[in-house]
Amino acid sequence: MGGRDTDIVLLDENGIRCDGRKVNETRKVTIKAGVLKNANGSAYIEFGDNKILVGVYGPRDVHPKHMSDTDTGILRCRYHMAPFSVGERKNPAPSRREVEISKVIKEALEPAVMLKEFPRTAVDVYMEVLQADGGTRCAALTGASVALADAGIPMRDLVAGCAAGKAADAVILDVNNEEDQAGQADLPIGYMPNLKKITLLQLDGVLTPEEYKQCIEIGIDGCNQVYEIQKKALQDKFFASGEKQ
Amino acid sequence: MSDGLIIDQLKKNQILDLLQEGKRVDGRQFDEPRKLTIDIGVIPKAEGSARARLGDTEVVAGVKVQPERPFPDTGDKGMLICTAEILPIAHPSAETGPPQPPVVELARVTDRGIRESGMLDMKQLVLEKDKSVIGIFCDNAVTDHDGNLFDACSYASTAAINSCKIPKYEMQDEKPVKIEGEFTEPPLTTLPVSVTMAKIGGFILVDPTIEEWGIMDARITITSNSDGNVVALQKGGSDGFTQEELIKCAELSIKVGSKIREIIKQSK
Amino acid sequence: MSTERKRHVIPGETITSGPYRAEQNTIQVGDSIVSTIVGLSDVRDESVRVIPLTGGYMPKDDDLVIGKIVSHSSLSWTANINSCYVGMLPASDVFGRDYSSSSDDMNAKLSKGDLIAARIVNADMTRDPLITISGRELGKIDSGELVKISPNKVPRLIGKRGSMIQMIESSTNSQVTIGQNGLLVVSSEDPNGLLKAIQAIELIEEQAHVANLTDQVKEMLESKSE
Repeated sequence: MGGRDTDIVLLDENGIRCDGRKVNETRKVTIKAGVLKNANGSAYIEFGDNKILVGVYGPRDVHPKHMSDTDTGILRCRYHMAPFSVGERKNPAPSRREVEISKVIKEALEPAVMLKEFPRTAVDVYMEVLQADGGTRCAALTGASVALADAGIPMRDLVAGCAAGKAADAVILDVNNEEDQAGQADLPIGYMPNLKKITLLQLDGVLTPEEYKQCIEIGIDGCNQVYEIQKKALQDKFFASGEKQ
Repeated sequence: MSDGLIIDQLKKNQILDLLQEGKRVDGRQFDEPRKLTIDIGVIPKAEGSARARLGDTEVVAGVKVQPERPFPDTGDKGMLICTAEILPIAHPSAETGPPQPPVVELARVTDRGIRESGMLDMKQLVLEKDKSVIGIFCDNAVTDHDGNLFDACSYASTAAINSCKIPKYEMQDEKPVKIEGEFTEPPLTTLPVSVTMAKIGGFILVDPTIEEWGIMDARITITSNSDGNVVALQKGGSDGFTQEELIKCAELSIKVGSKIREIIKQSK
Repeated sequence: MSTERKRHVIPGETITSGPYRAEQNTIQVGDSIVSTIVGLSDVRDESVRVIPLTGGYMPKDDDLVIGKIVSHSSLSWTANINSCYVGMLPASDVFGRDYSSSSDDMNAKLSKGDLIAARIVNADMTRDPLITISGRELGKIDSGELVKISPNKVPRLIGKRGSMIQMIESSTNSQVTIGQNGLLVVSSEDPNGLLKAIQAIELIEEQAHVANLTDQVKEMLESKSE
């Protein structure tokens, strides 16, 4: 990460970024809930050019039995990128990056999911990145929350994801792929909008204490915007009266 | 894969009773495949892509093209490799981890069906003989499993490769360099299409659903090309086929295959 | 003593604040009552609950459920009851307390894939729920078609005092055994009636949230079958 020499103009003199956005604008986000036939809950999310499909199974039986917990359900998450999702074809086997992101997303969802309601079971969240363009972990987390709600898994709150960052010396919202490659910092955030708690936070890059504060503030703002889209996805599926789904 | 599925006795009896009357559970004829829709370009950043929906089964195929070192014994040919994966979102019994035998079989049958048909003229995919060739990877991801993944992967792969764009490369200092913004059409020679048939209680059924798959005695997947020739075969399941049945299956697959081929052609 | 209209809610949304008891599918956060699922909030005099629009089946004592036998040991059968928990049917329930059963005996009575109508006896989540098939209208199901709907649509399928299901049964000449777990068995002497009954059930599953559902179903049942 960080500051590779590039021909791309990350921020021009009018404050416009390489994809036409202003510094505090997120990319276009659309979410559809309930897109798969077999999964208990599912969601398809497009976050800019990211395309991610999430499926949830559970609560369900745990195999092998010794992995289950008598007091509580367990949450299992898998973030996986399809071989055709990135510029250079990716080997289908899970990479260390995917293993780490799976764990980070699991820990971002755990504060929200009420696992104690289902002892001895597991809730499985599978996030498949079909096309990647920077910020996939935030988009995957966002889709996962909607899929969990679609499956009827009780949650204290949804979790919305959005990254803040720094490019061309400016604090920006929702870092895309070019900005991630050539920019100065990338700060993915996962946020519970009603409980007002941050459950995912990572940093790649260098920020002054002031920039760090600004990133968190602008990032939370981005998460709140993403939350509105999550709400709409669930409303469209469950509350549209008289319309065939 | 459905080897983990328990089809309840009631459903099993119902399927068999209906077959005796010449009917299938979903009202199809014995030689009728489910509705097939193909959308290409669903992954715009890949060099080619297609989503195939065969009934409720759904597969996304993505094509990636990149320069590769050729195989030692075929320095005058490009590379074409197909894979298939059943994503854990596709079915409650789908597992993560190293692929189990049914998934390995699915991947290899899909690969053979495309490669053995000679779908692409690999001799036209050479940048520098014995040094650098074009490698084409077609990866299939099953996103929803309602039976007959062999055919769904075949159609998604054929549609994706049929509609892909090969980037232009130039050899500079012994290394292949991509010329941005320039593409060529793939060197297509034929469109392979597979048709899978299940044998249940002596009846041959085209395009089994997951329930029919769960109670079948045997199955056969036959791939044909645009000339109506048979290019790949795979028999599975624990029962056998008679000679007559095999000939009937080949005829069926060529007949049904040609209709499917039209759908794939239309998708481009 | 006012009650708010029913409102659509999603997880994390505040339903109301004040001196209410947080009941099904809600939690207390500070002095607000918050929904934990996607559903319809229902504010009563002293308590708040949310009626779910999604989610699987959680076993409750005395529920009538349809189950599918998946395996057995020498002491009990295990049944898939469309829940994350499996139902345990003890051999003594079928053979009597003192009978010592062998595997053959077990298989002869109920084997893998058989469907049963059972009642939940003990839904304690620290172990798998116990079920029984001894009782009126319980036992092995020999005929009929198995239909699966979302468990939270079952109340709509039954209707006020059974009105919806009775309308379907009488108009299509069929019998429907409804499991609270979303599994149903539909049987009829008349194959067209059977088909119509299943179509009516599917319509209810799709349109459960719509206000004029009863009229829609009535219209569908009365139309000439196609």
